Amino acid sequence: MKTIAVLLSGFAAASALLAAEGAVPPGSGSAIRPPCCAAIAPDAPLTARSLYQLDAIWTNDAGRVSKLATLRGRPVVIAMFFASCEYACPILVSDLQRLRSALPEAVRERAQIVLVSFDTVRDTPAALLAFRERMTLDAGWTLLRGPEAAVQDLAMLLGVKYKQDARGQFAHSNLFTVLNAEGEIVHQHAGLQGDISEAAAAVMRPAKSASPSP
Amino acid sequence: MARCFIPVGWQQAGHLALVGFALLATLATTRAGPATQAGMTAIPAGTYRPLIRSQDEPAEISVAPFWLDIRPVTNAEYLAFVQAHPRWRRSQVSPLFADSGYLSDWAGDLELGPSAPVGAPVVRVSWFAARAYARAIDKRLPTIAEWERAAAAGFTQSEGAKEPGFPAQVLAWFTQPTPQPLPAAGSGRPNYFGARDLLTLVWEWVDDFNTAMVTGESRGDSGLDRNLFCGAGAAGIRDPSDFAGFMRAGFRSSVRASYSVPNLGFRCAQSP
Repeated sequence: MKTIAVLLSGFAAASALLAAEGAVPPGSGSAIRPPCCAAIAPDAPLTARSLYQLDAIWTNDAGRVSKLATLRGRPVVIAMFFASCEYACPILVSDLQRLRSALPEAVRERAQIVLVSFDTVRDTPAALLAFRERMTLDAGWTLLRGPEAAVQDLAMLLGVKYKQDARGQFAHSNLFTVLNAEGEIVHQHAGLQGDISEAAAAVMRPAKSASPSP
Repeated sequence: MARCFIPVGWQQAGHLALVGFALLATLATTRAGPATQAGMTAIPAGTYRPLIRSQDEPAEISVAPFWLDIRPVTNAEYLAFVQAHPRWRRSQVSPLFADSGYLSDWAGDLELGPSAPVGAPVVRVSWFAARAYARAIDKRLPTIAEWERAAAAGFTQSEGAKEPGFPAQVLAWFTQPTPQPLPAAGSGRPNYFGARDLLTLVWEWVDDFNTAMVTGESRGDSGLDRNLFCGAGAAGIRDPSDFAGFMRAGFRSSVRASYSVPNLGFRCAQSP
């Protein structure tokens, strides 16, 4: 019975990540962390350009709440989307899958791909979970929804344009953003099906403030 | 405490009767909310016709009645705000929320100086800063629909486009270089709704400016770049002769929320 419960909870493992702040993530047993993912002192103040200054509360597809700052200390690729998107979002997700597979394994294990929904009404945790299943996204992906003001703030900071049309679909920029371990924007990639090598290189670069690998 | 108003316009006797008349006319159609709001003018319920819209979008969007500041926020008012809210001072603001040009025309952190006269509209403020100012006094920034609804009025008619000479006056603004320092906010002629300086003083932030999706490449805009914007493939243009409208749409799509621009200020709105 217990194993079933474990399996079930592993299903929405991204939530575990958000909850387990400071916990050892799976696969990080290797002694040396890649430079992008060097430890950040937990008490160090956020840098001036850190997006983690946003204190909005987000909810993931397991219904767990957290701030973006819980992602601190790992490289993050963040994009905005909505689960009922028919045209571009599946392509955006496949671009991000491509980016993820271009990363060395040690980096891939630490990196998180974060998808934040525009659709504050329809994208409930259940709808996000259904999207996760449909796109077969593993624990390396975090799916978030939040209050409208938080979505607007994040979109403004990322430079994402979006607009809901009469059918409830969102026209939006196809853009993903690489954040370093401090939550600072280090790279942005606009458009679909482009060359993701620069973005992959950006994910692997260390944050300036990060301490050297232990 | 900072406030969005100081009814400068009302002190100008020459315009008083006109403003009063417009206010009476608009209030007559506005049932909800307080009867008056210092420094603000009531914009009655109406419609906004988007300049650029997608195929599914209705030609007219209804706009609920709202209050709009009669004129843009001034340097003096913004100074009072940063005095009360140190995190929005030039020396303390986070680079995430305002770029390095923020309030750079001020003489100091809490000093306006010759380039930023007391009564001139505050400019070089980011969207984040403008919104923080509005929130601090329980107001908000107007939406594109609200702002355009208010600015579509002429001086004497509710539809400026049909008022003889009005479109030409608006266009004339684009031919003039921005005066330095800027003239006082509220010195312009009030429009039909009693709002001043909407079209001929500075650009103004709107709450949802990031819904304007014009790409940087002018040749691409007829069909909007499908790879950059999801679902924006079939945009239509309402009125190809609305030059000022195109300029505003282009301007909105070219700025980011942390930008500080020399002739970009704001005014506040409030729901009744």
